[in-house]
Amino acid sequence: MIIVEIVSRPIEFFPSDDNRQQDGAELIFNGRVRATEHGKNITALEYEQYEGMAETELAHLAAETVKQFPINDLLCKHRIGKINVGETSLHVVMWSQHRKEGLKAMTWFISELKKRVPIWKWAILEDGRKIPSECSHE
Amino acid sequence: MMDVTIKCFSQVKYALGMNELNLTVDDGLTTTELEKLIREKAKGKLDGVSLRVSVNQKYVPHVIKLKDGDEVAFIPPVQGG
Repeated sequence: MIIVEIVSRPIEFFPSDDNRQQDGAELIFNGRVRATEHGKNITALEYEQYEGMAETELAHLAAETVKQFPINDLLCKHRIGKINVGETSLHVVMWSQHRKEGLKAMTWFISELKKRVPIWKWAILEDGRKIPSECSHE
Repeated sequence: MMDVTIKCFSQVKYALGMNELNLTVDDGLTTTELEKLIREKAKGKLDGVSLRVSVNQKYVPHVIKLKDGDEVAFIPPVQGG
């Protein structure tokens, strides 16, 4: 099962699953907004998407990940709009038989997301100014 | 002549000061020629910024000729996550 969603409200996390008999690893990743960016204090990040293309690219990437790695399900929510420091911008859950392949899949999925899904960040500074974020880590 | 729409995001939006730009251009204009035009409009603000191209919401890895009604975006480095 693959679920990908781009949401403009606080992320409701996918529930943990105690009923899986064959998956020894349940991996959960939450990306959160840091209070500083390149040494500057910020109050929030504002995420902008290319509407339509962002969700399509995310869905393609999720399908590719499930094909490339032995993971059983991949669920992902990416929030856009203004996200305050400390809040979650990205939530990903995967299940795999063993943790090693799950960890590899999670790392690859997030790295690729940061290369190809058309979503950008604007930093909101303490004085209220909004500037394009300089932060783009793989 | 043909009409194309350019969607602007992040640094491109910042450089051009707009979300979207509608242009009437010569028939057969290529993505590379349109990118050059956009960089000229940005007056140096996009110098050094690498841009990927999408046409009708799909990345295009090679230069292509545009068609009337195409939606084009010059995509600066993405930053999701």
